[in-house]
Amino acid sequence: MTALRVAFASGVRHAGSYLDELRRDPRVEIVGVAEEADAPAWMHADGRRAAADAGVPWLEDIRSASDPDRVDLTVVCSEPTRHARLAADAMSAGVHVLVDKPVATTLADVDALLDLDRSTPGTVSVVNRTHAAALRRTRAWIDAGHLGLPRHVDAEFLASGAFFARSVERPELVVDPALSGGGEILNFLGYCADAVLHLTGLEVESVYAMSGALFAAGHAEHGVEDTAVVSIGLSNGVTATLTVGRIPFAPGLGPTSSSLRVLGSHGHATADDDQPAVLRFGAEGLAAHPIGGGGGVAPVRAWLTHVVDRLIAGAAPDYGLAEARASLAVIDAAYRSIAAGDVVRPG
Amino acid sequence: MTFTVAVLGTGAFAREHLLALRGIPGVRVSHVAGSSLERATELAALVPGARPTTDLAAVVSHPEVDGVDVCNATPDHAPWTIAAGRAGKHVHVDKPATLTVEAFDEMVAATEGRGRTLMVGQTVRFQPAVAELQARVAAGAIGDPRLLHITWYTGHVWPGGWRGWQLDTGKSGGHPVHNGTHALDLAVWLMGAEPVEVFGRDFPTFAAEMPMPDSFQLLVRFANGALATIELCYALTQPGRFLRRVLLAGTDGTLLHDTDAEPGLASPRHSAPPASLDGALADQLAHWVRAAQGREPMFVTTEQARAALATAVAAQRSLRTGRPIAVESAPVGVVGR
Repeated sequence: MTALRVAFASGVRHAGSYLDELRRDPRVEIVGVAEEADAPAWMHADGRRAAADAGVPWLEDIRSASDPDRVDLTVVCSEPTRHARLAADAMSAGVHVLVDKPVATTLADVDALLDLDRSTPGTVSVVNRTHAAALRRTRAWIDAGHLGLPRHVDAEFLASGAFFARSVERPELVVDPALSGGGEILNFLGYCADAVLHLTGLEVESVYAMSGALFAAGHAEHGVEDTAVVSIGLSNGVTATLTVGRIPFAPGLGPTSSSLRVLGSHGHATADDDQPAVLRFGAEGLAAHPIGGGGGVAPVRAWLTHVVDRLIAGAAPDYGLAEARASLAVIDAAYRSIAAGDVVRPG
Repeated sequence: MTFTVAVLGTGAFAREHLLALRGIPGVRVSHVAGSSLERATELAALVPGARPTTDLAAVVSHPEVDGVDVCNATPDHAPWTIAAGRAGKHVHVDKPATLTVEAFDEMVAATEGRGRTLMVGQTVRFQPAVAELQARVAAGAIGDPRLLHITWYTGHVWPGGWRGWQLDTGKSGGHPVHNGTHALDLAVWLMGAEPVEVFGRDFPTFAAEMPMPDSFQLLVRFANGALATIELCYALTQPGRFLRRVLLAGTDGTLLHDTDAEPGLASPRHSAPPASLDGALADQLAHWVRAAQGREPMFVTTEQARAALATAVAAQRSLRTGRPIAVESAPVGVVGR
């Protein structure tokens, strides 16, 4: 295979940015964007607009977005509560599937996908940030032994509420549980959990979480959290702290910020997806230009490039359903911890 | 107006206190008192006119002493603070003030209850970066603080090897009390709210068998619903290395200070604290003296110190039990800025 034919099953959330990134890759042919016939009109409208903005066809039948005669990879890019069902449909059709994050909104749904994956021919992968340069650099230091044994990882991912309208096409996709499946824990905690699992390679044994609707971004009205602090116990006595939230102004150079700190037995490391950066001083004040694109763009770009690389090479991307389930198990445990007011084991 | 201070303690921190007191105009150090006359003599030599002694009881009631700086081992803080307060002295006590909230309440009763001052040495408040953070908060730059994330790593080894008293949690109170009161006081001060719940985990980096692990992490919930992540490590491999990052998100803005972004000294044989943290102890003690003399209001209040200590004690319980712990409540509204 030298080219990858890609279609989108639903295009309501991050479809615009994913289309933009995939279209940049000369190996990719965008077949089109489709939506379920009974989806609400605004979803059809958003999908049509995403297709039009990208200059790619609108497909009238969603089945054609996973027709193996026309499509190699189906990108499931709906609201989160439809991810698992649309992924299952595409998997059953026989194509490779890339699911937007979170892969599902319940562990039962992702377990059903894992069962289905045993009998379907394509690969299944999930959008994630583990290809961020800063995270990969930190992992390389660990693999090289520069930090000794990691003892603790601190991960922070914050998004700017001030950018809510721009970074999330429709805020209700994040705050309305009927669409999102939860609040910012479901939306963001997986990034931090992925980082911890990627760096340590350890099992999560226990989770304790606190959360709240601390800022006025609409979360309280829907009964979901905008902020959470989470403590994780991993095997071998290793610990992690995760801080996530949609705050008015995230401390990053774009709409989000993401940083890491790793304490090892023989050293420590820090990482920030917006660093290193070049500073520009001019009449309009100070501007910072992250090298490589920064946390807002580069991690997803690197991931999509990896997916194309692997599929064209006939191999599976390195983040699939198993990795996504491990991440979702932390999310699920965080919600159960909050409900119980106590420490819980991941399911 | 000279303010006469007696210093109780002859350890490393007593030495730092003496050097700081020596440089404060209007302050005279009358005594250096400790269990070892040899060490007291050595430290008293640092300050002209200071007399070494092992008679702590005589010092805290000496008529020429205006204030007592208690900086001996933590278990001795409460009895000597109470004795000094009952003798009518102002008291500055090194952090942690003591090991229990009940003992702290007795210390407050013996000092403030008798019209004297009690200041807990929360040195961090006097660090330039922290003072600037608090000034921005107080000026309304970020609205109401709602989310705090403190990273606090340093390369520090407690002296004494396995004999070090800090390793004995019966004497140190555990790491959240011994060093965590710095970060927790910072949290109480910046958030302007009272912690109501804490959850912690710890881990040893130096040696798996450490009775008091060198590192821990805490999650804190405040009475107003605000949240904090605090992670603290005293085991960076390079002595003197310091990394502190403070993120404070409010309803209208976010503050961030990170020592990693700060120019400074890099030398294999020497270390220097970041400029954003330097010079705090002298400012702290000078503030105590001025407050004790009634020249300025005390801004390290005992209510805030109590809240930080209560949270630290609860955090130590959380480490032992593996469960979240409710923080012993303080009177409503006492913690606000």
